[in-house]
Amino acid sequence: MLNDLQLNNILEDFDIAYWKINLLTKEITWSDHFEALVGVPPADESLFEHFMNNVLHKDYRYDYRVAFENLTSGEQDLNQEIRLKLKNDKFRWFECRNLKRKDNTYAETAVLLFVNIHQSKRDQYTIEENFFYYRETAEMTTTGGWYVDVTTKSIYWDDVTKKILDCPKDFNPDYDKRLQFYAPEHQEQANSIFEKCEKYGIPFKTELKMVTLYGREFWVQATGKPVYNEEQQIIGIRGVLQNIDENKSNELNLQNSLDIIAAQNSRLFNFAHVVSHNLRSHSSNLSLVVQLLNEAKNGQDKIDLIENVEDISQNLDVAISTLNDMVSHQNLLKKERTMVSFKQSLDIVISSVSSLINRESAKIIAEFKALKEISYIPEYLESILLNLITNAIRYKQPGRVPVIFIQTYSVNDQNFMEISDNGIGIDLDQYGDKMFGMYKTFHHNPDAKGIGLFITKNQVEAMGGTISVTSTVKIGTTFKIKF
Amino acid sequence: MGQKMELACIIDDDKIYVNLVRKIIEIKKLSENLLIFKNGLEALEYFKIILTNMSEEKLPDIIFLDLNMPVMDGWEFLGEFIKIKNNFDKKITLYVVSSSIDPRDLERAKSFNLVTDYLIKPIELKKFEKIFDRVA
Repeated sequence: MLNDLQLNNILEDFDIAYWKINLLTKEITWSDHFEALVGVPPADESLFEHFMNNVLHKDYRYDYRVAFENLTSGEQDLNQEIRLKLKNDKFRWFECRNLKRKDNTYAETAVLLFVNIHQSKRDQYTIEENFFYYRETAEMTTTGGWYVDVTTKSIYWDDVTKKILDCPKDFNPDYDKRLQFYAPEHQEQANSIFEKCEKYGIPFKTELKMVTLYGREFWVQATGKPVYNEEQQIIGIRGVLQNIDENKSNELNLQNSLDIIAAQNSRLFNFAHVVSHNLRSHSSNLSLVVQLLNEAKNGQDKIDLIENVEDISQNLDVAISTLNDMVSHQNLLKKERTMVSFKQSLDIVISSVSSLINRESAKIIAEFKALKEISYIPEYLESILLNLITNAIRYKQPGRVPVIFIQTYSVNDQNFMEISDNGIGIDLDQYGDKMFGMYKTFHHNPDAKGIGLFITKNQVEAMGGTISVTSTVKIGTTFKIKF
Repeated sequence: MGQKMELACIIDDDKIYVNLVRKIIEIKKLSENLLIFKNGLEALEYFKIILTNMSEEKLPDIIFLDLNMPVMDGWEFLGEFIKIKNNFDKKITLYVVSSSIDPRDLERAKSFNLVTDYLIKPIELKKFEKIFDRVA
């Protein structure tokens, strides 16, 4: 049998302190190492009470007293994790348990061991803490974790991933149906990045559109990295996916707003230029008249000049009403789209310019069979038709009855309208880039105001479409609108 | 006032403006004769005819060129006129006259060597006299 000193030395090597308890007298002796840990106790107090009041952390006092009594009465073994205040006033974790007797014979003494478990306890806390941070971060950023076992062809999702994908917690993703969680247009991309990662170990970080169990589409940022076994073979892919739908749609909205603002800005600029130029040209003429009036020598000169004032005032009136037209066209943008029938719009336009059509005996042939209606602002469609039809008639080839052919169709879900005429046409090499500009007139035509095509282009573009033109001089012109 | 100018030229589509300037020139007796074109193309064709006929006496001493015109605007005219200008022995002074106060227009006009100055409409009578005086 080892004596106390030997036992103490051995235990001390393992950083284990102990008590010896005389079960008859309940007298306790501390091992040297225990004393070295918690400090020398005062002589005038019982060791147990001193321990209870000054060494043991108060959270464990009640339980420990009960357990200790159970032990000394021989009823129960003692095994508790407790915190003790050391000499340096710091609390440390200890596991406290009694040495078990190997036989059932009655013993006079019990030995209570104190094993320092502070490090492992702290590690455990660190792990719990890290896990807490991980979980909170994952929840807060809606970032889910996943693992694909490529050897067994199985998929594991954590709770956040399941939540992101609207799946119940007990949902088991099916490897063969994994692509159903990606938007159709992104399935190929998703498949390819996983394949590359599985085959060549290429990690990925990409933005994808996914689909939840209930078919709701949303954007995620997905990252994945290969997992190797000890033989350096890829056995799985591990990664996270973050719901970035809000960011992504904000980004798309922002881009959209930017485009709209840029377009509005350029229209405004153009408008400001026209306003300044048009109003200024009249006001400057007026000022010239005033200067000449001052120089006028006789009444007849003055009367001649007054005629100019009348002309200027008339021109100014026309300029202002043209500008008004443009502003009211811009305001239409606030209107909502509705389903508009091409036939109905054309009928309205034809009846409004029937006198022009009749005068020129113009023929209008329309084919709306392939595309009968479109979601649009009705006033815009009418205005576009009106501008292009009156243009076609106005710029007819002399001696030729104007024929206008209007056709709508759609290719790959994209809607088109073409308006062709047999008019004088236009040399696009010379005027092509200016066709849709403001106040550009290309023919010596007194009716030409030069804003029709500018407005048409603006309307088409405001609705998200484009307009293009092809033309041959003396043969005709075709405008093609992509809605 | 010095010597009277032989021939002035206005290229502008604004009929009222042209009439008023014509009046000013008459009243102030600034030029003997006046050429008027309502767009760049008409003016260019005139200059091309002079070039083939070699009748330089019909060349203007001064040109007032508007910018915003139908068919061929002032910029296009400048681009074409540069090409043929050096075939004339006579010195031709060219002013751009526009109601545009856009600084980009002003900048662009001044980038042409053959543009003497950029005048913003309306031009004061005194300014007209000064310009004619200088050229004549």
